[in-house]
Amino acid sequence: METDKTVKILLVDDEVKFLKAVSDRLSIKGFDVTTAANGDDAIEAANKGGFDVAVVDVQMPGTDGSQVLKILKQNHQFIEIIMLTGHATVDSAVECTRLGAFKYLEKPYDFDKLVEALKEAYQARLQKKFESNLKRMEAIQKLSTHQSPLGLLRAMAKLDDNRK
Amino acid sequence: MDNAKDWFGYDSLAFFGKVNASISHELKNVMAIISETAGLLGDLSEMARGGKPIDPEMLTSSTDSIVEEIQRGFSTIRQMNRFAHSVDTPVLSVDLMDILDLVRNLFEYLSFAGKTNLHTGEGTAAMAQTCPFILQAIIYQAVVQTFQHAGPGAQLDISVQSKNESTWQILLDGVSLKDGEVFPDDRITRMALSIGVSISYDRGSDRLAIDVPVSIGFVKGNGAAG
Repeated sequence: METDKTVKILLVDDEVKFLKAVSDRLSIKGFDVTTAANGDDAIEAANKGGFDVAVVDVQMPGTDGSQVLKILKQNHQFIEIIMLTGHATVDSAVECTRLGAFKYLEKPYDFDKLVEALKEAYQARLQKKFESNLKRMEAIQKLSTHQSPLGLLRAMAKLDDNRK
Repeated sequence: MDNAKDWFGYDSLAFFGKVNASISHELKNVMAIISETAGLLGDLSEMARGGKPIDPEMLTSSTDSIVEEIQRGFSTIRQMNRFAHSVDTPVLSVDLMDILDLVRNLFEYLSFAGKTNLHTGEGTAAMAQTCPFILQAIIYQAVVQTFQHAGPGAQLDISVQSKNESTWQILLDGVSLKDGEVFPDDRITRMALSIGVSISYDRGSDRLAIDVPVSIGFVKGNGAAG
């Protein structure tokens, strides 16, 4: 791994054997993997927090992959999501991109490509966090020149609310 | 009306495409599992070569998984073959239970598939001279609409009974349609009329009845088998 910390992955697919094999392979590569066999379990796991990247199958019974993508992007500002599909269509790829997917891979794919995509997604997440923190610092600096200490605290709380 | 060109129009072609897309999706899943599990075995070999200890259980479960997926792939291809050959002869004498069994197998490749229970009738086989491909399309669509609405947790019971000497009745219990949704729609109605099948849905009992003539020759005005 070329990263300075263990990348936390949420892997979501209704094919349990696929989930197990990919999870084992990613663990061997040094990723910290949590699995979910359906959309609802994935959303629940994500709410417990801490995932850098999610890998989500598009077609699942019940809450499907695009619904999971939408909810995770809404609730977790910095998470990056890679979509997997056994039935790639232009419409599905466009929809996933519109909802904020980082990448869209068709099964069966080359495992090295998945690992590469995970590293890129993790770097993108770090970059986004860095830019967000930078913006926050700039905003605090601007506020501090015009605000009373109490006003500054209130403005910072508002800033943090917007970041959730 | 005695050749495939006369029997199978765009509606049939659309059904053929839809089912094949779902089969290819199933096969891709099988291939993906085999590919990842073989990759895992490769990773484990590399680790062993590097002197790291390997859990033998991981090797056993990986090889078992590959064998199971190959069997799943074979089974899918068998159903695909049955389906492909169902257009060979537009009208022939078939056991309706065979058609229902194929529809159930094909339907299970859809991601939202729930449980379908096929109840074998007592007595003689439910033989009918009909167009099996179009009959499959009608039953498949009824099952699809049910589970699209009710979700994978729902159950559907399917059986065949003799309605009278010239008609078999296929019963689907547990059919669930959205408010305002109709079955059959115009497309399915056209297909049903072309083979003399009549369909009635009772929303109160969630029962769909599909009446299939014992012989398509009994269909008034249909010169197909007359």
